[in-house]
Formats: sequence, structure tokens, C-alpha cells
Amino acid sequence: MERPAVEAVHLNALVVAVGRARDRAAFKELFDHFAPRVKGYLMRLGAGGAVAEDLAQEAMLTLWRKAELFDPEKASASTWIFTIARNIRIDAIRRERRPEIDANDPTFLPEAERQADEKMDWAKAEDRLKLALADLPREQAQIIELSFLADKPHSAIAAELGLPLGTVKSRIRLAMARLRTALGDGT
Amino acid sequence: MSITHHPGEELLLSYALGASSEPVALLVATHLSVCSACRESVKDMEAAGGAMLTTVEPAPMSDSALRSVWSRLDEKPLQRPVVAGSPSDVPPPLRAYIGDEFAKARWIPVAPGLAHLPLVTRGGARARLIRARPGAGVAVHTHRGEEWTMVLTGSYHDETGRYLPGDVQTTTPMVLHQPEADEGPVCINLAVTDAPLIFQGLLPKIVGKVFGF
Repeated sequence: MERPAVEAVHLNALVVAVGRARDRAAFKELFDHFAPRVKGYLMRLGAGGAVAEDLAQEAMLTLWRKAELFDPEKASASTWIFTIARNIRIDAIRRERRPEIDANDPTFLPEAERQADEKMDWAKAEDRLKLALADLPREQAQIIELSFLADKPHSAIAAELGLPLGTVKSRIRLAMARLRTALGDGT
Repeated sequence: MSITHHPGEELLLSYALGASSEPVALLVATHLSVCSACRESVKDMEAAGGAMLTTVEPAPMSDSALRSVWSRLDEKPLQRPVVAGSPSDVPPPLRAYIGDEFAKARWIPVAPGLAHLPLVTRGGARARLIRARPGAGVAVHTHRGEEWTMVLTGSYHDETGRYLPGDVQTTTPMVLHQPEADEGPVCINLAVTDAPLIFQGLLPKIVGKVFGF
């Protein structure tokens, strides 16, 4: 459990190094770690090898260009790259617009934001999340996985598994409660 | 803004993991633009996405991939024009669809006091705006799929309660309801329906759609 935590912390530091100093050695290490995972993710979602490879390259270029926007107090490197890959896939493969919010919009009301957010260690949280994900009851894990790797919203998952909508929703709620407990589980 | 009706976690999860269709993503993003609690939830769900990304089986990149990216690191990225933020009553995620003013949008009259504006349709899901003057209502209706209605301005009520700006009402299939706009400012809602494929014979066909709402 300690070792992977170091890895996540290390990956965060690499992205910060790219953002601050255009550190190419750090970028190469990030590329070696993340590009095959992004490619694997896109292929699991149905992209062909060549397309997945191109888009993984695009994701890594986006990382290079936007690295100065990365804030390790708001997300782990893996989470940040996941959101980049997710948006590239929606744009390039599904050819849809991705309605997004601008996290820096000053009109956002800050009062209800999580108070301890600044202190949240997302790199450590990532390891707790992985354990919690591995620990989910099969029926809950299946639905989270289908949302992640099958590009299916809950209604399609329900239809495919022959489950009532309410069952799918309650499994998602139960799974999220467990993951949230893991996230809030001290440091 | 005190929001009491939030989108279900299943919608937030689909959005966070990139599995929602554009109409549903538009609804979620519009709600997130006014709801910090749901923004926190989505952040947690994205963290779960990040954790899952680390467990995906890696697919080896070709030998030339790094070199190819390397050669492009100094390219100047295309700069998207920064649009000056003009004062607007339209939540930011909606502006790409209708511009900065509800009043200038291309409303289509449907009935006295009632107009709508289709935004985007993808697969079985569609998003549109509905504008109802006080007292105007939508006829009793039901849905094949789920329907989510987010109040943008004004308020409305139906058999289940009253909905204020920021609220998202979720209506499940086969529920009959008859929303009516309250007195006060005109009620503008973002309405999204999701009609998944219903396999013949699995579920009874539902009749009684009015206005196609």
C-alpha cells in the first residue's frame, strides 16, 4: 500500500515539473506510464489500435500544453489525465460536444465547497479508492465498470442487464457511498 | 441558491466517466454550474475514473510514438478565441447552444404561454428549453424513458411539489405529471429526455404522449 502511494505522488510531481519547467525527462516518464494506459482505455471502449494510438498521443500533447494548469491539490495526475482522455474520446470518436463547467468561473459560490479540500491528498486517496473499487460487491462493480469502459449510461446498462432502473440506481448509490467513505478515510 | 432537488448520482457518474450522451451531459453541466455539492461529487467520481485508468491493461505504443510526440512539443497549439464574458442570464454550458440571452433565443410557440427550443438530440436522448408564462402548463404526460427538468428561471409545481431555480426534477417512466408555471418571473426549464431502446415485449407500450413532451 505504501509503494503505490509513492508512485502517485511521484506522477503528480512529474506533471508539476512539466508545468513549471517544461521538463522533457519528466514528460518522457509520464508518456511511458500513461500513453499505453490511455491507449488501452480507448481500445477497451472500442477504438481501433491506430485511432487509439493517435488519440493517446493527442492526450499526451494536451498534458504537455496544459501542465501548468494541473493542481495536485485538486486531483491526482491519473485523474487529470483520465479527464483529458475522456474529453478527447467524446470529441474525436463520439463527435459530440462536451458541455463543461469552467472551474475558475468567479461566479461559482464557494461557501459549500469541501472545507478540507486544500488538505485533501489526492495521490494517497487514489490508493484508497483502488482498494475500495477492488472491494466492491460484484454487482456494484459491474455497473461502475460498464459506466467506465462500455460508454453506457445507467438506462442502457439497465436494459442490457435486464434490471429495473431503480436497481441500477441504488447499486450506483451504494457503490458511491463506499468510494466516498474511502476518500474521506483520513490520510 | 438553495437547491433541494439534485440530479441522481447515476447521472453524475455517467457524466464524470464520459458515458452520458450530450443532452444529458448538458443537463448535468448546467446543474453543476450552480451547485457546488454536485461539483464535489463529480470530482470524487472523476477520481474513481483516474483510479480505474491505472488498472486498465496497458496497450503498448508503437516504437515511433514518443518520437512523433516529441517532434510536436514545440508546436504552438491553436488558440481558441477567448470570448469576453458579457453579462448573461444564461448558464455558461448553455451559451454554446443559444447565445447569451434567453430573450433573443429562437423560441417556437407551442400553445398559449408556452414555447420550446430544441437544443440537441443524440440517439434516444434530447435536450430542449421550455418556457412557460405563469399559469401555463404542459398537458398530462408520461415518458418512455426518464425525463429530467432543471429550472433556470422562475419556478413551477406539479403533483410532487415545487421546483425552484437550480432544482432538477427526475421523472421516471410511466409517471404521469402535469407541471404548471408559478406566478412571478417567466419559468424557463431545461428538459432532457432519455428514451432507451425498449425491446419489444419486455415492457408495455405507453400511449398518451401529448405535444411530444
